[in-house]
Amino acid sequence: MASTLPLWILVITALALTAWRSRRYAMALANAPAAARFDRPMLRLQGVMVAIGMHRKMLRKPLSGVLHAIIFISFFVLFTATIDAFGSRLFPGFSLAPIGGETWIAALQDIFSALMLVGVGLALYQRYVLRPARFDGSSGSDAAIIYVLIVLIVASLLLEAAARIVGGSDGSWRPVASALAGLLDRAGMSAHAGEELFYWVHIGAILAFLVYIPGSKHRHMFLAAPNIYFRSLEPRGLAPAVPEAREAPGIDSLGQFDWKQQLDLLSCTECGRCQAVCPAYAAGLPLSPKLLITDMRDALAAGSSAAPLVGGVISEETLWACTTCRACMEACPVEIEHLPKIIDMRRHLVDEGRVSPGLQEALSNLIRLGNSMGKPSKMRARWTRELGFPVKDAREEPVDVLWFVGDYASYDPRVQEITRKVAELLTAAGVDFGILFDAERNSGNDVRRAGEEGLFETLAQSNIDEIKACSFNRIMTTDPHSLNALKNDYQHFGAAFEVLHYTALLAELIAAGKLDLHVADGARVTYHDPCYLGRYNGGFDAPRELIRAAGYTLHDMPRCRENSFCCGAGGGRIWQGDDGVTERPSENRIREALSLGDVAYFVVACPKDKVMYTAAIDALGVADRLKAVDIAELLVPRTSQALEMPPVETS
Amino acid sequence: MNILVVLRMIPDSAGELQLAEDGRSIDREWLDFQLNDFDDHALEEAILLKEAGGAKVTAVAVGEGANRVLQMAAARGADEVVALQSEEDAMISSREIAASIAAMARAKSADLVLCGVQSSEDVFGQLAPYVGALLDWPHVSGTNRIVANGAVLRVTQERGAGVAVTYELATPAVLGVQTASKAPRYVSGSKLREASKTPIGRATPESSGFERSAEIITLRLPVQGGSGENLGGNAETVADRLVSILAAKGLARN
Ligand code: SF4
Ligand code: SF4
Repeated sequence: MASTLPLWILVITALALTAWRSRRYAMALANAPAAARFDRPMLRLQGVMVAIGMHRKMLRKPLSGVLHAIIFISFFVLFTATIDAFGSRLFPGFSLAPIGGETWIAALQDIFSALMLVGVGLALYQRYVLRPARFDGSSGSDAAIIYVLIVLIVASLLLEAAARIVGGSDGSWRPVASALAGLLDRAGMSAHAGEELFYWVHIGAILAFLVYIPGSKHRHMFLAAPNIYFRSLEPRGLAPAVPEAREAPGIDSLGQFDWKQQLDLLSCTECGRCQAVCPAYAAGLPLSPKLLITDMRDALAAGSSAAPLVGGVISEETLWACTTCRACMEACPVEIEHLPKIIDMRRHLVDEGRVSPGLQEALSNLIRLGNSMGKPSKMRARWTRELGFPVKDAREEPVDVLWFVGDYASYDPRVQEITRKVAELLTAAGVDFGILFDAERNSGNDVRRAGEEGLFETLAQSNIDEIKACSFNRIMTTDPHSLNALKNDYQHFGAAFEVLHYTALLAELIAAGKLDLHVADGARVTYHDPCYLGRYNGGFDAPRELIRAAGYTLHDMPRCRENSFCCGAGGGRIWQGDDGVTERPSENRIREALSLGDVAYFVVACPKDKVMYTAAIDALGVADRLKAVDIAELLVPRTSQALEMPPVETS
Repeated sequence: MNILVVLRMIPDSAGELQLAEDGRSIDREWLDFQLNDFDDHALEEAILLKEAGGAKVTAVAVGEGANRVLQMAAARGADEVVALQSEEDAMISSREIAASIAAMARAKSADLVLCGVQSSEDVFGQLAPYVGALLDWPHVSGTNRIVANGAVLRVTQERGAGVAVTYELATPAVLGVQTASKAPRYVSGSKLREASKTPIGRATPESSGFERSAEIITLRLPVQGGSGENLGGNAETVADRLVSILAAKGLARN
């Protein structure tokens, strides 16, 4: 055929252009440090199936999910048309007809062309009419160009088939094209000229699409699957260790990120789901997890002409704004890992001593005294003095449960009362427990996530040594942050302890009938899932069981369980100032609870939360409508006075 | 330039202070010790001078926990670190240690001795003047900025109410630092870990040579009662109590 040679030239030119446009990315990936992401292929593949095949995370936003599924499936079906279009003229004689190219495949192509247009229509409706805030900062022109190209590709495909039908081909398998053929016929276009015109428009649009993709978020068509395949299979609560090969603890140039971290940058779809759930973004701080990724991506594309990474491409304020709540990673449909990047860049800042005064004070206190408050270790177990019974010293005698109390529960006067309640509940249930007294140190969970790896190692090693010297069966923590460090991060030192949160232990005791509680009359309460208990460690159910066992009815907030909204204290944020915050995450959350209209208690299961939310309730002046209570406060043994529920004004 | 900087360990005031049996000192047995804040600034100023124009910084620490602080000093950039032995469980008296510091300044051919302007155990701020006197070097205290230009120092001293004077003096000199030109930097845990391998020199104290001029006869800890009232540590009861006190005094409506 006469068009074979020109088509070959076109195709080769387009492929060469595409390769040229991808060169920077390809080079970056080829030169990146290694990452161990090749283990457990079946598990990896399974994840890809669920993520892509079932659109699991995509469907959490129903309209987006459905429209993407339509476009996605249509794309696969129409790929047969692309094969046909190129195959038939590149290799004269090639045809899909023997396997049904003119019958059932033709019918599918015809229907899915129409469906594709419906999908694109929905996308246009979403992007230009609904305009969700998560698209703020995404490239509008990129999306528009892609819509135009898809419409061109599909329309030309249909019109080419229509022209053929006008020229006498059988249209019985192509209902949509047949309808269009009627229109073409009336327009008086010559069948052959039409077929040729639409063919070349089709080919041109496809090749333009191909050449365009390397510079567009639509790279995700090729990279989403590999990016999901190579996702992290480590426990969610394990912050990545500093690789041995790296000279300094942190990262200050893109090239130091391993290839998976760089692949992440290229895979971002700019969907903004991460931005929509980010507490720092909602608080008005200069951090959008989406822009974090796309800014680094653009710097990768710019190559050596880009600004320095830390403090340039990504500002220090952006890095310090993150609460490490992990909501972004949970939301990301292509499994991009925001947090390892943030932590690695923070490590660089800390190593250079570039920390805010508040953080410097907390870290210096931690170095000196093992707690962030600057209190002497000797005062750590002071809360036990006001208990009516002695607490065992786990360093002196064997215990069943070693209780790792944590800084806030030990030192903060607003939380100590709850710590004592937990001690009383354990005693009422006959648990044999002990604590480490002044030998306990901050677990280092947030120290690590603030980028202070060296201090984390010191704290962790000290705790591990003390814990290993004790005789016990299990560890219980009050603080979800300590839970995460002891259970996950300490694995880096080969420490494998059985660690559980106090809510889990109490739920177990109640299930075993060891705690006889006052049962309330079904009053409604809401519950805040702490990030490090829920999203990080899957502790969603035990607290809910406790609330039920105490006789309360749980009215969950819209953002609950995996989608819980961070209180704003994690990852070292509690040690930073509130500069630039327009709405504190904790206050945002209290408003959400108030909007339920019928709860009097805001139940928490993290010592920091009691502090954060009590402050937020006071700041909003709603102390008469809502009270932050720790879950331990709801659990009252029958031997004590029952809790009096405040009256609720329902709105 | 050779700089000698003095780091004194003082009782952590956040701890529970208790009187020793003699009623004239603090029972140091259960206390945590921390670096005197002004000395921290003196160290920072020394490091800043080193970074600005090159210098060899020797840090000498005295008191309980000196080793830990010396490692920190090394991590921050001190070239040599020395622990000066001191009497155990005793407060660090400037009169007692001045002779040792002066001797060390000579031994290290120091051009500049820096120390904090005062400490909780030397509220008079006597260390810098004592050392200056013993060495017969000029001395300025209460500095908040030191600039070195060869052997000439420009030293700014805060005089309150925003008034500042700048002196010019020639080395060798002794300076009591109030604040460093920049806040003391943070040293990361990994740098501290690296510095933990730094060898720490030892120095034995010289006898003071000063006649005792005055003596502590009694030490008193803050006591509850009188015009103050301890509201306790429970935020809620504190708040309630505060409101009722304010209301009783007619300062707020209850
Ligand atoms: S971890 Fe949380 S705070 Fe940090 S970027 Fe992600 S969503 Fe935002
Ligand atoms: S990082 Fe993930 S969630 Fe965020 S915009 Fe990119 S693809 Fe979407």
